[in-house]
Amino acid sequence: MASSSLQQWKCNPLLLTQPSLTHHSGRRRVGNAIVALGDPFVLELAEKLEESASSNNLKNKSLHRLRETCTEEVFRRPWPSAKDESFRFTDIKFLKQSKIQVSEPLNSPLDLQGLENGRPGAYTILLIDGLLSTSHSHTAGLPHGVFVGSLSSLPDDYVLPPLEAADGGDLFSSLNGIGSRDLGVVIVPEGCKLERPLHVVYYSQQGGDDLQSLCVSNPRLVVVLGKGAEMEIVEEFRGAANKSYWTNSVLHVSLEEKAQLCHSFVQLQNPCAVHMKWTFVQQGTLSSYKLVETSSGGRLSRHNLQIQQLGPDTVTEVSTFHLAGENQTQDLHSKIILNHPRGYSRQLHKCIVTHSSAHAVFDGNVKVNRHAQLTDAGQLSRSLLLAPRATVNVKPNLQIVADDVKCSHGAAISDLEEDQLFYFQARGVDAKTARNALVFSFGAEVMERFPDKYLRNKVENDVKSLLAAAGAIR
Amino acid sequence: MALENLRAYKVCYLLPMPILQPSSSVSSLPRISCVVTRKWRCWRMGQSQPTHTRKKNSMQLPRAAAAAVDIEPQNASTSNSNVLLEVKGLTAVVTESRQEILKGIDLIIHQGEVHAIMGKNGSGKSTFSKVLVGHPDYEVTGGTVIFKGENLLDKEPEVRCHSGLFMSFQSPVEIPGVSNMDFLRMACNARRSTLGLTELGPLEFYGFLSPKLAMLNMDPKFLDRNVNEGFSGGEKKRNEILQLAVLEADLAILDEIDSGLDVDALQDVAKAVNGLLTTKNAVLMITHYQRLLDSIKPTYVHIMENGRIVKTGNASLAKQLEEGGYRAIADV
Repeated sequence: MASSSLQQWKCNPLLLTQPSLTHHSGRRRVGNAIVALGDPFVLELAEKLEESASSNNLKNKSLHRLRETCTEEVFRRPWPSAKDESFRFTDIKFLKQSKIQVSEPLNSPLDLQGLENGRPGAYTILLIDGLLSTSHSHTAGLPHGVFVGSLSSLPDDYVLPPLEAADGGDLFSSLNGIGSRDLGVVIVPEGCKLERPLHVVYYSQQGGDDLQSLCVSNPRLVVVLGKGAEMEIVEEFRGAANKSYWTNSVLHVSLEEKAQLCHSFVQLQNPCAVHMKWTFVQQGTLSSYKLVETSSGGRLSRHNLQIQQLGPDTVTEVSTFHLAGENQTQDLHSKIILNHPRGYSRQLHKCIVTHSSAHAVFDGNVKVNRHAQLTDAGQLSRSLLLAPRATVNVKPNLQIVADDVKCSHGAAISDLEEDQLFYFQARGVDAKTARNALVFSFGAEVMERFPDKYLRNKVENDVKSLLAAAGAIR
Repeated sequence: MALENLRAYKVCYLLPMPILQPSSSVSSLPRISCVVTRKWRCWRMGQSQPTHTRKKNSMQLPRAAAAAVDIEPQNASTSNSNVLLEVKGLTAVVTESRQEILKGIDLIIHQGEVHAIMGKNGSGKSTFSKVLVGHPDYEVTGGTVIFKGENLLDKEPEVRCHSGLFMSFQSPVEIPGVSNMDFLRMACNARRSTLGLTELGPLEFYGFLSPKLAMLNMDPKFLDRNVNEGFSGGEKKRNEILQLAVLEADLAILDEIDSGLDVDALQDVAKAVNGLLTTKNAVLMITHYQRLLDSIKPTYVHIMENGRIVKTGNASLAKQLEEGGYRAIADV
């Protein structure tokens, strides 16, 4: 149905301007739609994804609606170029020149090197190439009413919020929607507090053997926390070594009144990988969302984070650490939208660029709209450049309409601070050791915020070895 | 809220910062010798100064200064074995602007002594202490500094620390991401390894640290926090003294250790410093107020003005200062 319409539109570009026009008045969008149509790459990819996803035959209304909406969106979302503000500094031309395959469900047993164990004392689910693998997941002992599993196994008495409702998104979130075969779903009912964290491992198994052929997977996870519910979730992204793959993932988080979510996100993709992620968060009244992220893998890694306030008195804390090494691009585009009074938000973004071919991008937007009075919003971005010609592009920005708010932002790009180096030396620590300690501590400021000690140690060790390999720690 | 107003920055980092290197002018300084001593004596008698150390300032000392130095009770010769620090004709400039701050400092500190340096804002007190520990913002242009019989000026800051020199910073820098415990252990072990001692593991180190924490009335939770991050003024100063206690320095330079401290905290800090004082080590305090000197009794009080020590006396000098201000001292 949707598939046939896609093909039809592709054959006859003029036809497409019609539905676009009816949905979206505005010349630009129509113009964009035409541009999109003229881009066979996007259509071919969307078509491949659609074909592969529809083979699943899952009859689910939510998923069906999601795919339909995303298909529509794809037509008005052209392939981003440097002329688009959100991709001004992030070069994704190479993706267009790559041969892209869509990952297929695999039935053969996998050697996951104990990955499915996640971390001790945690519930674990494993998504292999975007599909939840029940045989590798450990969810025994979940409290009554909590659901952790795939959408296809979700009992009828659970109601999911509309998945396509989230504002924002870009071509890649739409492509994810089209290519979603099934979704991962986490539902914690009202008043329920999960004592143990939930560890979600995303593993990309299929991939091309050279950098030009990529295999794309589209994992999508939906997390719904009822009134007063509390949980800790850990997302970990990994993939098969030496495979060239593209993980195009989406996470939806919906927090109802007074719900609390601690979200840890660790991206450890292999150096050939392309990692794209959208995180949509909707926060109800008095809810709290805390994100700690460490992103160090992939040749291109982009995290789009959008946090939207649905009620007053929300607490939002975002701490991110990106490490960009040789031939890597690490990108964070974050948007915190405050529409209600007394919101509190803190954002700390840090990145280390260790090589002249490495590149980091940060676009941090905080929007304090008219009714968001008494908002307390702070943002700080610090970048450490350790090699000649290492590049970072930062665009911290606050848009404030309300008149009674407390907002701050800061951005610093530098080498290590001389004062800190001297402080070490004055206490007898030689310059080399001091430098090492300071480079590591630069990222440790974010990593120490991981609520779980096990994860913290693991990530810190990974980062240490990456820094050592890059020669940033000697 | 036009997005166009928001600026994007592209920064290409061109060259890495150089790691601290000893200044060539420092390393080429002559080691102290009797020749220098003789020249020194000439200078003290009001004659022109030795040219190799005082190129820019060939003027004579103000009379008050000369008089003060003449009554200086510390005329010990360089051969005296209990001399810890001997500074002669030390001149220094700000590395970047080349502005001269220290214009010929002379000071001798023996073991077991407590020295206090007082002086107006901008007289060069803090610069003097920073120069002694090798701060890269300043460059020594002349004079000599002998610490425990060795030339201090050709040593790296960390080597100065290992040799037993310690300075407490006036405003210690915050180091996010490094816990206080790790920092202290790193400092302690760096010193121990140069002394040929085995490094302490986390548990052993905690045992070593506990009594020192107790001495300063500090909560052990303090160790889990990041170095100086979010510390109150008082906590920062206590932390500096804790570092002093850990490093067991022979000469402690305390730069305005009393600023920002409440009465109780001052007592804690003073008690700790007094507790650390022995007949083998010494303290050099920089302060503006008599209050600190009531708790840590100075052997000598020096008044600094315009990059020089212009007057030296005992504790009564600080009292005069407290009562009549710097004008009262100048008239003496």
